[in-house]
Amino acid sequence: MRDASNRAPRGAAIRSPIDFAGGLFLLAIAAFGYAGAFALPFGQLSGIGSGLLPKVVAVLVAAFGAVLVVQSLMITGDRLEQWSIRAPLYVLASVLVFAATVRSLGLIVAGPLCFIAAAFADRDSRPLEAMIAAVVATLVCGFLFKELLGLPIPFDATGILGPLHGPYEALKAAAKALVLGSF
Amino acid sequence: MVDLFNNLALGMAVALSFKNLLLCFVGCLVGTLIGVLPGVGPIATITMLLPITFGIDPTGALIMLAGIYYGAQYGGSTTSILVNIPGEATSVVTCLDGHQMAKQGRAGVALGIAAIGSFIAGCVATLVIAALAAPLTRMALLFGPADYFALMVLGLMFAVVLARGSVWKAIAVILVGILLSTVGTDLESGEERLTFGWSEVADGIDVAVIAMGMFGFAEILRNLETSQARDVVHAAIGNLLPNRQDMAQSAMPIARGTFLGGLLGLLPGNGAVLGPFASYTLEKKLAKDPSRFGRGAIEGVAGPESANNAGAQTAFIPLLTLGIPPNAVMALMVGAMQIHGIIPGPQIMTKQPNLFWGMVASMWIGNLMLLVINLPLIGVWVRFLKVPYRLMFPAIVVLCCIGIYTVNNSPFDVILTAGFGLFGYALVKFGFEPAPLLLGFVLGKLMEEKLRQALVISRGSFMTFIDRPLSGGLLALSLVLVVIAIVPSIRKGREEVFQGAD
Repeated sequence: MRDASNRAPRGAAIRSPIDFAGGLFLLAIAAFGYAGAFALPFGQLSGIGSGLLPKVVAVLVAAFGAVLVVQSLMITGDRLEQWSIRAPLYVLASVLVFAATVRSLGLIVAGPLCFIAAAFADRDSRPLEAMIAAVVATLVCGFLFKELLGLPIPFDATGILGPLHGPYEALKAAAKALVLGSF
Repeated sequence: MVDLFNNLALGMAVALSFKNLLLCFVGCLVGTLIGVLPGVGPIATITMLLPITFGIDPTGALIMLAGIYYGAQYGGSTTSILVNIPGEATSVVTCLDGHQMAKQGRAGVALGIAAIGSFIAGCVATLVIAALAAPLTRMALLFGPADYFALMVLGLMFAVVLARGSVWKAIAVILVGILLSTVGTDLESGEERLTFGWSEVADGIDVAVIAMGMFGFAEILRNLETSQARDVVHAAIGNLLPNRQDMAQSAMPIARGTFLGGLLGLLPGNGAVLGPFASYTLEKKLAKDPSRFGRGAIEGVAGPESANNAGAQTAFIPLLTLGIPPNAVMALMVGAMQIHGIIPGPQIMTKQPNLFWGMVASMWIGNLMLLVINLPLIGVWVRFLKVPYRLMFPAIVVLCCIGIYTVNNSPFDVILTAGFGLFGYALVKFGFEPAPLLLGFVLGKLMEEKLRQALVISRGSFMTFIDRPLSGGLLALSLVLVVIAIVPSIRKGREEVFQGAD
């Protein structure tokens, strides 16, 4: 919603901070893109090379970015929205934790760690509740992906649950026999 | 006509297999659930379930994903009516009169008429899809590479014009999406592009990675910023079936809503989102006593809900016949098809008739299932609404992580997704919309291929795009669209439509 309270102050050099930042963002992306395709051949029009599309698109993005920056200096627009630190930090950290531990420690560790780390992102989270939910969520997801869908994901890489493996396999075999037998 | 019946029969045979019925049911159930829950949308859910569909055959996978999509439309109206929070963007209008009806103790009637209206709209829309499919596909086969390229440009421009926010910013974001699609190995020359030496992206960025990052994680981050107070209606839900007077009052709004929604859903861009608004405005104008609107007028629920569902189904037409995704959700379907090795386009009807007609038939079955699921299970959905978000979102994060990991067994993919989450968050903070990026990304490779082919055929002449009547016409139309969107008077009109959405 565009209400007056969000507009940049009058007389400021940058009339529209959000557009200014947006324009810079686009310029950065364009630079990144062009750099990545720098060495690639442009080709001729009758046989366009691998570098043509990335370079042309990067230039176009840069053009839009430049226009946005110039526009931000002339037309009043909204202020930059506040970035929250807590939520992105914890959510993204939790994803990194998952990535770092899933292979070496298995889902049984990575799942709850990820859950609890993400839960920190919300101030309302309660520790005990989160820990229980973490274990439940991991078990349910693990079951869903590993058993029901057969997708490969290391569940217990370090064998912490070693002694439980035997009974679990037996339970699975029994359940399978029951389900298949009743058809 | 006989052909149509034969094809529908084939479709029914495919759709009624136990496995596909089960997948349809799961899709509709999951779809309704996430439609009910505010803060989780069909885009996020479909991206979460994309990796799961790897183990299923393409027809089944698409049936399930489609079920999620139109199921979410059904579920969204439940939350709108009961909690006054739109479960989905398309359910915003239902809040206006639906919640008022709930406060008057007529929640059941509102829910009932929403379900019935949606069902009727869905049936009609499915018939439309079946009827239009063959002619549209025949027309599409006349397209050469240059025409196809121009059509994709037009589709993207439609998406830009019908989307919220600045036209220029949307075009810029689409271009970024196209840029991202070039990451990986160039098909023609085998050279690595934009990989910066990372071998993990040598095959390109997975659509699931971008989708989950920008729509899954970024959505969670946005939700965490705004705390949501929910005032669940505690009054009695009341009788679930509308009485005769209600049905009589709703009959014409349902018909008009279906027509409007179906038509708008065909348009690329979020035409399906405009349907409910257009229907509400129309009903208010046509009503004998417009002051009833906003205070619990049943037409204000019946019309928009029908428009909503009709639009959701006809949105599949550009996807299934031309291979052009009209919005972000369909772009994900394209991604899902590509994962299964199916090239979306007009040849789907001829090369994969099972897939095409199976999907069409299962949409009708899905509508029936939704009618049956929604009415009795309302109590269950209401209970789900009471799960606090602080427990839900970490579960979603874990689910996404597992999903991404199973795509390529690659922790790098998971990290990349986190990166895109941050990217998506930044994009919104800087005033851009993330949805067009997905459209650009999914179409990017196809557009480059068609551009290449067109230029090879014309021996390097760009004039080919203007010389050929079809592509020239389409490109001209794109230009007209953009100009119209920028013209100030129309720009204000667009803003008004979307102000109504705020």
